[in-house]
Amino acid sequence: MSNFNLGMVLSYHSLLIQGALTTLVLTIGSAAIGGVLGPCIGMLRASSYRWLSWVSGIYVELFRATPTLVQVVWVYFALPVITGVQLSGFVSVLLTLGLHEGAYVGEIFRAGIKSIDKGQMYAARAIGMSYRQSMQRIILPQAFKRMVPPLVNEFASLMKLTSLASVIAVPELLHAADNVISFTFRPMETYTAIAVIYAILVLPIIALAGYLDRKSGRTSR
Amino acid sequence: MTTVDEREVSSAVAGKAGAPLIEVRGVRKRYGALDVLRGVDLNVRSGEVAVVIGPSGSGKSTLLRCINCLEEYHEGEIYYSGQLVGYLKDSRGRRKKASSASMCRLRATMGMVFQNFNLFPHKTVLENIVEGPIVVLKEQRASATKRALDLLGGVGLAAKANCYPEELSGGQQQRAAIARALAMRPRALLFDEPTSALDPEMVGEVLAVMKDLAKQGMTMVVVTHEIGFAREVADTVAMMDEGSVVESGSPESVLANPAERRTIDFLSKVL
Repeated sequence: MSNFNLGMVLSYHSLLIQGALTTLVLTIGSAAIGGVLGPCIGMLRASSYRWLSWVSGIYVELFRATPTLVQVVWVYFALPVITGVQLSGFVSVLLTLGLHEGAYVGEIFRAGIKSIDKGQMYAARAIGMSYRQSMQRIILPQAFKRMVPPLVNEFASLMKLTSLASVIAVPELLHAADNVISFTFRPMETYTAIAVIYAILVLPIIALAGYLDRKSGRTSR
Repeated sequence: MTTVDEREVSSAVAGKAGAPLIEVRGVRKRYGALDVLRGVDLNVRSGEVAVVIGPSGSGKSTLLRCINCLEEYHEGEIYYSGQLVGYLKDSRGRRKKASSASMCRLRATMGMVFQNFNLFPHKTVLENIVEGPIVVLKEQRASATKRALDLLGGVGLAAKANCYPEELSGGQQQRAAIARALAMRPRALLFDEPTSALDPEMVGEVLAVMKDLAKQGMTMVVVTHEIGFAREVADTVAMMDEGSVVESGSPESVLANPAERRTIDFLSKVL
């Protein structure tokens, strides 16, 4: 600790800021993909059509049962061999994490829908609503309130997962740190600096999830 | 408190008297290996009140859910207003499942009141009641609201229109649920143990609303353990056990002079 030299690392701050921005773009981009995919998957999982729920279940379990790092390298290194199309590192990560999020958000949706008492669906159907109307107007609005805290938590996890992009040289925060280290030979200071940056990015999201969770616990509306 | 607007009900009663509005013939239903209904028969004429009694697990609630298509039955027939429930028959008499749209139309004309009320917790009492008329019957919000307030007045809840269900007592919630069912102008109402989840002191207020409806000629099928209600209001009492109706007839015969051993046993337990 005698010569902890943060100044040297901070002189490369523009690299780190650039990395943090890439981290943010990756997070928001894959969250957007997952945010579109997840609800569809969740609805299919909760549907009474067995084969729809089965096929979507395979997708979800595939992504839940394999390490995210393996998913990232597979899409970057193995998929091109099969398809003949080499995606850039950035697009590979975006796609992988988007699909990964689709599976996890799908599970949150499924759990949210299942958590609503069956009587709500009965009551909606009993006044003549279609399945779709019942879902849209009665089940999902109630389920969504319960989903918000876990969804926000999932977003925070996603932001941390983007660090995996460094293994395929996408210049996000962790990869930027490696670059800074190659110039400064200061791994301790650099890794400490990015840990702090990650925490600054993620902590507010976790705090928001906690707040929403406490708030939703107070009322069922 | 309990004067449901008579105009609401009179239109429902105008149907042809005499012919059964609800006709259940030899209905069977299985859950996997379990026979829940083993050939149930029940006729309810327009304006009549049929009370179904029997021990839990005897298939009473399942029967109600089959009548309004919330569950499918496997054999037998259910007719509502002369229309086969849940199935279509082709020219050779083979049947296939009815479209979900036609089942929705059927449910919209038949009200259902649940043991656990099942009000929508994210909507106010008023919103609960106008939901069906606006979304399903495509009524204008203004007229639906006006009618909903009338109905709420009828069940003594005019002051609670803008409350959320969780702010209401059980009895109030169940009365609101009855108003919600009435808002669809149903030709018949099905009650699935409407007072079983209530504290004893609230049972009376719900039964009073139901008696009122009966008096005005609403066709009702009521699954209940309230034998007093059956004695006072029912035109027909059907005793169910193990998936079939073991005895049915007037309240005087079934409740006062039961012929079946199982009816006698059951009545001795609930009375």
